[in-house]
Amino acid sequence: MRYTRFEKARIIGARALQIAMGAPVLIKVPKDMVDPVKIAMLEFEKNAIPITVKRKTAVGLPSK
Amino acid sequence: MVEATNDSVVKKMEKILQKKNGFLPYYIQELLAQKIVEKGLEKDVEDVVDRALEQYNKNMVDPAEACGIVAAQSIGEPGTQMTMRTFHYAGVAEINVTLGLPRLIEIVDARSTPSTPVMTVYLEGAYRVNADLAQKAANQIEITRLQDIATIDIDIENLMIYVILDEKSMQRKDITKEDVIEKIKKMRKVGVEDDKERLKVTLEEPGYKNLMLTVESLKKLKIKGIDGIERVIIRKEPNEGYVIYTEGSNFEDVLNIEGVDASRTKTNDIQSVANVLGIEAARNMIISEAHDTLSEQGLHVDIRHIMLVADIMTVDGTVRAIGRHGISGEKSSVLSRAAFEITVNHLLRASKRGEVDKLQGVAENIIVGQPVSIGTGAVKLIMGTQRRKK
Repeated sequence: MRYTRFEKARIIGARALQIAMGAPVLIKVPKDMVDPVKIAMLEFEKNAIPITVKRKTAVGLPSK
Repeated sequence: MVEATNDSVVKKMEKILQKKNGFLPYYIQELLAQKIVEKGLEKDVEDVVDRALEQYNKNMVDPAEACGIVAAQSIGEPGTQMTMRTFHYAGVAEINVTLGLPRLIEIVDARSTPSTPVMTVYLEGAYRVNADLAQKAANQIEITRLQDIATIDIDIENLMIYVILDEKSMQRKDITKEDVIEKIKKMRKVGVEDDKERLKVTLEEPGYKNLMLTVESLKKLKIKGIDGIERVIIRKEPNEGYVIYTEGSNFEDVLNIEGVDASRTKTNDIQSVANVLGIEAARNMIISEAHDTLSEQGLHVDIRHIMLVADIMTVDGTVRAIGRHGISGEKSSVLSRAAFEITVNHLLRASKRGEVDKLQGVAENIIVGQPVSIGTGAVKLIMGTQRRKK
């Protein structure tokens, strides 16, 4: 699934918050990387974030 | 020959698209096919389609993008630079056309008649090249009143009116004496007699006041032409032939005139285009009129913003105005309407009726201080225990 730029922002944002509050990191992170947002972005790139989006269809009903 | 290859290229493209499960609008497919044939790239159709598809998908607007707000600002900002009042002679001698900001407001307000209705009447066949035939068509269109072809004298002593016809202008307008008599006969409570060079008009109820009233209505009596079209100008355009420009507009009737090319004739009256040609034609007209008035002032607004406005104005099959009396006034949300204009009235009415606001729009959610359902605010996240598959 391709994410829109809004979805990407929300996923990374939500994940960065988790990391900032002490959640365990799901990938190997370089030692000098401390910024939670940067880590979340790296996780997103590696498809490691266990978060997806619930989309709506064109008429506004939740999609399957 | 070229047409056939164009079609075959389009067919080939459709197959490729189907295979790739991609989509390109038909218009773009046609343009591409034309270019491919022009440059002789028949072998590389697949590559071209690939690149086109890539660009098309890249340029598509994301779901939840606030395209309406972007459109509003993209039209609004250049709008501030428009001249407040511009009346302009649009290329044609002496025809006055409202342009600039007043015209843009007129379009967006979906007025029933523009303040300066004008038409560009294209002709077909022989009418296009023959000056006499063009004049004939113009005579059919331009309204001719009795005062244009005759002098009207009053005989107060006998309470009679003499209509002295001017042969020259009658000939030019292609009108006979019989036509005039016929028209006057149709008026109420008058009699006509043919008296050699002039016509004698008598009153059924003689009286000074009646005489004066009759003179006035005689002057304004329509002999020939179409209602609403006050003036016509015939011009010879390069590569086109004779074109008739009119002041005043009556789209429906002009299209019925012999020699008029109905497929190209234009008016600036959007409402009548909607009535005669349908809502899609009206949509196209809103787009082109708005775009033209903006670019005429040297302002370049992307056509897609204007298209969005035109779409919203015409979605329900009628041309509706943007603003209090149109779209904004018909929104289902109370708070959204109240946020726009006449706040108190809307709130009062809503409270009397017990209306419910479901807080689904942007304005409502801003009022109550919630994230709006646009952009990142529209995304609903779900937490999964499993990692996403690649």
